[in-house]
Amino acid sequence: MEFLIAPERLELAEAVRDFLSGTHGPEVLRRLDAEGNRDPAIWQSLVEMGLTGLVISEDHGGMGLGLLDAVLVARECGRACLAEPLVEAAFVRAPWLMAQGNEDALEAIVKGEDKATPAHTINGWQTDGSGEALESIDPLRNLTALPVDASDDPHLLNLGAIMASAQLVGAGEAMLEQAIEYSKIREQFGQPIGGFQAIKHKLANVAVALEFARPVLLRAAQALDNGIDSASLHVSHAKLSATDAAYLSAESAIQVHGAMGYTYEVDLHFWMKRVWALAGAWGGRGFHQRRVDEAIIGGSHPIGPEHTFA
Amino acid sequence: MNLDFTPEQVAFRAEIRGWLSANVPSEPLITLECEEGFHQHVEWERKLASGNWGMVTWPEAVGGRGLDLIEWLIFEEEYWSAGAPLRVNQNGIFLLGPTIMEFGTDEQKKRFLTPMAAGEVIWAQAWSEPGAGSDMAAITTTAVRDGDHYVINGQKTWSSRASFGDWGFGLFRTEEGSKRHKGLSFILFDLETPGVTRRPIRQLHGDPGFAELFFDDVRVPVENLIHEEGKGWNVAMATAGFERGLMLRSPGRFQAVARRLVDLFRKHEADASLSAREAVTKAWMDTQAYAYNTYSVAAKIMAGGSIGAEASLNKIFWSELDQSMNRTAMHLLGAAAELRKFAGGSQNDWLEGYIFSLSGPIYAGSNEVQRNITAERLLGLPRVGAG
Repeated sequence: MEFLIAPERLELAEAVRDFLSGTHGPEVLRRLDAEGNRDPAIWQSLVEMGLTGLVISEDHGGMGLGLLDAVLVARECGRACLAEPLVEAAFVRAPWLMAQGNEDALEAIVKGEDKATPAHTINGWQTDGSGEALESIDPLRNLTALPVDASDDPHLLNLGAIMASAQLVGAGEAMLEQAIEYSKIREQFGQPIGGFQAIKHKLANVAVALEFARPVLLRAAQALDNGIDSASLHVSHAKLSATDAAYLSAESAIQVHGAMGYTYEVDLHFWMKRVWALAGAWGGRGFHQRRVDEAIIGGSHPIGPEHTFA
Repeated sequence: MNLDFTPEQVAFRAEIRGWLSANVPSEPLITLECEEGFHQHVEWERKLASGNWGMVTWPEAVGGRGLDLIEWLIFEEEYWSAGAPLRVNQNGIFLLGPTIMEFGTDEQKKRFLTPMAAGEVIWAQAWSEPGAGSDMAAITTTAVRDGDHYVINGQKTWSSRASFGDWGFGLFRTEEGSKRHKGLSFILFDLETPGVTRRPIRQLHGDPGFAELFFDDVRVPVENLIHEEGKGWNVAMATAGFERGLMLRSPGRFQAVARRLVDLFRKHEADASLSAREAVTKAWMDTQAYAYNTYSVAAKIMAGGSIGAEASLNKIFWSELDQSMNRTAMHLLGAAAELRKFAGGSQNDWLEGYIFSLSGPIYAGSNEVQRNITAERLLGLPRVGAG
């Protein structure tokens, strides 16, 4: 029993964080919004880091890592508000194909040539598909009409939901950091507003929510990676706690920014819009709440102190 | 990341489960906040010690089993699952014990830890004063050196377990004229020392849970000083870290409440509100999140890390979670919520639980103070005004 990500296992995610914070900052989000939101050069850089092949076996040219590693990188994609469809193509569709034993597309996915995204009936749309365009409030998401052959496979749904949860946690962390920085420089009543308890306590609440969403995310990733029977329950738990923490972070951050937070000029809105999108994607609160309800109140899942890891 | 228990851990779980099923009283004990109940709980501590279960993580030389934090968590899970009594000596075993382990001399370890693990000496805490609550650095009770003794004068209050306990520990001002965090010392004292007057304070449930302590020229030997004179604040902060951090409230305690709450919901499902239904599922989710987080902190500590201001996040989370679960139960009970005993005579544990949960966000450093600590030390927000 060791509930711990080994330091060397964190290195890839840390490298992705460094890379994206250097190359995918707010100025890039603004350029993508203004000039077209997909950039082959960014995609190519992700391919060159090996991220498109993260979960694909080395036989097919990938890195052969697990869903837990993908979750750690997806969290960084959320933190950077990444526009390119890396998570959906490489961390949701690729492991889904692998779970079905379908290896035909894997090498092309590793090379970045096949960047197709999965379509699931739980969503009323597909991201980066080929159908008729739908407009998202998130200017960096390209929604298209759901194709008629969309899947209803629960495993695909779980993969989509765990990766959405990871991005929600990352986005929540990014918005908390933005609110902290703003509260340290914005002065009113002769002092930085971050010195007021009203601001401190608001942001402390966000820190609490994120602190207790993170281990749930890791537990769910581990459960899905190991294919345990209760994985769906843990994924739903992760989606709910990540959604609530991210929404709280978004609403707290805009409040801390005051009227500036309501402008396009402050960067915050890019992350906030991503949260609104991902919170509803791959099963909204209602769907995941029902799955938890059925397992816990319905009684199919053992509960109590001695069943922590059931 | 390995979430499987080893065969040794599984065997240990079976061992404690077996002992508890043979020894946990079949009838719940009376509340430890009254004299008779207190003594029942002391008897239970001694029974635990007879099985060598007093404090499993402590070295064998002082009555422990020398086990690691994962085994401690397993012990706690089984303990709360079995419905075993509250730990009347929690101030000792969870707060003072680790403090003595870190700061005490070998002599002090021998003298205090062994009877603590054996349940022979029950410890009270003596932090707060009438003018020093959340602002603990405002302490004014003095301990003046006189030869090989300190002479204590002043008053402490909200002293848990002091009504019926044996010994106390707390902070006293040893340097005349010192201010705030400086000049304080961490001193242990026998509650029967001449000059100590205890006045039990009736709590809102009616029983005297904590007490005021009056010190009138109380002479305490200098060997009861922990660590160095004047370094008491550092020692106290370490104690508060244990308390808010890993030890004081293990997840099993709350997971057991969540399970009872699910059972209660099923009985009252027909009359339950939709918000109660969601609160019940959230109780399971949040208690699980707290458990995962605790296992994660334990793994970090075992890998050589430590718990710092993150302890404040924990304290906020479990205390508000506990209140939420018990409040939900009160709503589910409806008209029966106010009954101290249900028709049929069984005690209304939810009412007791709800009342006790109201103290959680206050004791061990109020949640307002915890949020300040979180904001200033973890998030890096500026400290303005008093500190």
